[in-house]
Amino acid sequence: MAGYLGRTLVQLVATLVGIVTVAFFLMRAIPGDPALYMLGDFATEEAVAALRSRLGLDLPVYQQYLVFMERALTGDLGRSVVTGQPALAEMLSALPWSLSLAVAGLAVAVILGVPLGILSAIKQGTWVDMTIMLVALMGISFPVFWVGLVAVLFLSHHAGLFPALGAATGGGFWTQIHHLTLPALVLGLSVAAYIARLTRSAMLEVLGQDYIRVAHAMGVPEPRIFFRLALRNAFIPILAVIGVTFAWALGNAILVEVVFSRPGLGSTVLKAVLARDYQLVQAGVLVLATGVVLINATLNVLYGVIDPRMRSD
Amino acid sequence: MASGEMARDSAIPRQPAGPDDPEAARRRRQAALRRYTRHPGFMVGATIILLLALLAILAPWIAPNSPLKTEMSLVLAEPSWAYPLGTDQFGRCVLSRLIYGAQISLQVGFWVVLISLTCGTLIGALAGFLGGWIERAIVALIDIMLAFPGFLLALALVAAQGSSLTSVITAVSIAYTPRVATVMRSVVLTIRPRPFIEASHAIGLTKLRILLRHVIPNAMPPVIVVATVSAATAILAEAGLSFLGLGVQPPTATWGSVIANGQAVITTRPLISLSAGLSIAVAVIGLNLLGDGLRDTLDPQMRRQTGAKML
Amino acid sequence: MQRSSPPSSDPSAAKAGPRGPVLELRDLVTRFPGDDGPLSIVDGVSLSVASGETLAVVGESGSGKTMTFLSAIGLIPPPGRVTSGQVLLEGTDLLTHTPEQLRAVRGERISMVFQDPLTGLNPVFTIGEQIVEVLRAHRKLSRAEARKKAIELLERVQIPDPGRRVDDYPHQLSGGMRQRVLIAMAISLDPSVLIADEPTTALDVTVQAQVLELLAELREESGMAMVLITHDLGLVARHADRVAVMYAGRVVEQGSAKAVFEQTAHPYTLSLFRGVPSLDTDTAQDLIEIEGQPPDPAFLPPGCAFEPRCFLGQGRASCQATRPGLQPTLGTEHQTACLHSAELTATRARA
Repeated sequence: MAGYLGRTLVQLVATLVGIVTVAFFLMRAIPGDPALYMLGDFATEEAVAALRSRLGLDLPVYQQYLVFMERALTGDLGRSVVTGQPALAEMLSALPWSLSLAVAGLAVAVILGVPLGILSAIKQGTWVDMTIMLVALMGISFPVFWVGLVAVLFLSHHAGLFPALGAATGGGFWTQIHHLTLPALVLGLSVAAYIARLTRSAMLEVLGQDYIRVAHAMGVPEPRIFFRLALRNAFIPILAVIGVTFAWALGNAILVEVVFSRPGLGSTVLKAVLARDYQLVQAGVLVLATGVVLINATLNVLYGVIDPRMRSD
Repeated sequence: MASGEMARDSAIPRQPAGPDDPEAARRRRQAALRRYTRHPGFMVGATIILLLALLAILAPWIAPNSPLKTEMSLVLAEPSWAYPLGTDQFGRCVLSRLIYGAQISLQVGFWVVLISLTCGTLIGALAGFLGGWIERAIVALIDIMLAFPGFLLALALVAAQGSSLTSVITAVSIAYTPRVATVMRSVVLTIRPRPFIEASHAIGLTKLRILLRHVIPNAMPPVIVVATVSAATAILAEAGLSFLGLGVQPPTATWGSVIANGQAVITTRPLISLSAGLSIAVAVIGLNLLGDGLRDTLDPQMRRQTGAKML
Repeated sequence: MQRSSPPSSDPSAAKAGPRGPVLELRDLVTRFPGDDGPLSIVDGVSLSVASGETLAVVGESGSGKTMTFLSAIGLIPPPGRVTSGQVLLEGTDLLTHTPEQLRAVRGERISMVFQDPLTGLNPVFTIGEQIVEVLRAHRKLSRAEARKKAIELLERVQIPDPGRRVDDYPHQLSGGMRQRVLIAMAISLDPSVLIADEPTTALDVTVQAQVLELLAELREESGMAMVLITHDLGLVARHADRVAVMYAGRVVEQGSAKAVFEQTAHPYTLSLFRGVPSLDTDTAQDLIEIEGQPPDPAFLPPGCAFEPRCFLGQGRASCQATRPGLQPTLGTEHQTACLHSAELTATRARA
């Protein structure tokens, strides 16, 4: 197990370095001059040149890269051009909002999606399966921001069950939870639809394995086969699914945050994009990607706990 | 239980009697056709997409009004015969904007699929087929790319390039190419050990030739499935970008921007946002049904590989 | 779990001899839906096996051997369905059982060992946990008792150091060891019938012999009936008392191993056996390739299913017209489904 943890850790560091690299080159590969982009089309040449040298854009690319990497690894992602605050700090201050939304949304998604996916697989071909899959198809097909709007329209404006704003300024814990509920449900339902579909196919794959047929042939009762034997096998692909949907959920949280006017990484990135705050956009992309990588590393450790083949070697 | 078991003893549908038997070939084609026509999801999906494509192409003849003409005397008009879904804040016909919006959505879907599929297929096929350090490098790069949430990446890219149809298409394509590549590689890995590939090596075909003549054609069924799924994802991404005001710029009609416009008046004129959202959903449902149908009929074994990695 | 009624006084069961059949399939038909109506994958199969006896079921892949026995124990994969026939286990018809009764029978009275030991064990449970799962599915045992029994079973299938091995995961064991574990599971409740579906195909040659040895020993000890589904003719020659040859979902020849080997009465069997001249061969010999493909069940010829590939009947009007049923040949025990088997025996006599 120690060796397995070690490998996961090395992989984690390598991926983080990779993310910084990709972020750097992706932003450089885009046609156009970041300085010009930040200052707008009407900037004077002097101003552009000054900003270029301040951002280090006048250096050769490999030097820029080294400087960027060195700073990034020490936690320096530059400063917001608009506020002058360190970009990382700005992002981290928005983090709790996004984290609470993502965690709550994912909780909704897992609690709904995994059991429904399993049920669907066990009842393959029946009306239960078809109903669940039809609903899940809707779930992945309606745009999440639109579902948010509709939820606000009906549940907030008409029914008055939840506040239309996804965040309370001040207010106690329960007030915050009350504001969080609707955005978390909206995000969670769309993710739940994905999870249900993917859980179903993961479970079906496991149920088609030889060892499940062996269990049937030995007269092991179906509930034991489904909920003890197959479930532990299906857990690995299900965890992988949750990892994949987490990245997806973070991307779509931007839209949910906007619909509910909720602060967070997504809306901070969007504001930065609209303000052409290049450094802040870059920082936001890096923070979110790092989040995804950390989640995947955690899942990797969990795989090791579940699957004995992974930890031994 | 199905697939594993059938593969083993399997009396169930077996390979053709012989390649030269025209009768058998005809029967096979008929049987294949029947598998599609008897799949309700596939038929519904195909019909939806076909109708939407017609709607988009024939928009100038079908739309009751111009999607762009503002009529200040008719701001936020109720639905009427002349304006079946009413008008928006600028007095533009909502229905006409939705009909023209199909053009943008379908174009984005089409081009993103074409670009990300071509690039992703080549990258994934090369990785899976060449193996060795090239494969490891490509896989590492893909893994890193996958850490960036797709929609966020598209957003950052489109922001950096300025909003236009081309930049939306480019951004979404870049964001989704690695996803196609992963699927493609796993597909190639499963067909790499097949006998005809080894036989080709033995008779001394060059690697590129094997790749183009054998590997890619054999990987087509799952790739077609991936194509429909990524078209759906691309349409949703475009709608999201438009909704945030980062898509194709106004006054061009897009479904996402109709929702955004409608948001301001959603309590009084909910029909605007609702109808635009339903348009998106119908298109995406159509593509997903088509994808699920193709998966069931083309390629039952690939079920998981093509599904899981496309988010 | 409840044992269903004791062997009935069914006259035909009694007729079969002093050791009446433990398992008897009568006119079993299993169908899968096809594009133009249902396809009979198992098409009227009648077979039987007695205690202490080994019946070998031979045929190319796709001939319906495995499907026949999966149908018998109620594990036919959907959308397949057993549409008619009887499966008599110690006189009671399993097809009239409820799913729960059938489950109670499986593993307890009739058990199955599959082809691939590498995929037959669940990778995320220890082998001990998996054996215990089977034991506790049928018996009220405490965890400790079940574990003790599992260790005994591992010892019985000759796994060295069973006390330690019981906590191993499947990937820590070799293929042969894994097949032993699967056999241990299959015999854990002393079944009356053990169906072994290509139990050694996936194993190394040396290991194959050991596993078969083990199966033979277990059969001797317990007196259970064994069905050996195989395409390894050397194995048939050495281990089978009786042989049934299947083609396109039907039994085309059956009889004692000696009769089928020495007086082969079906051209298909002969094509399979070509190159395995006598019972004394010691080398394992696979079925040789027969020209052409087994027929697509959706497009069976109207006459004899083997006619298009048959050296004897190809193009013959009689063979294209009628589908022959099993008929006794040279004695009632030896049966063949060929219109021209007389010619076959004549040809053989001349040669």
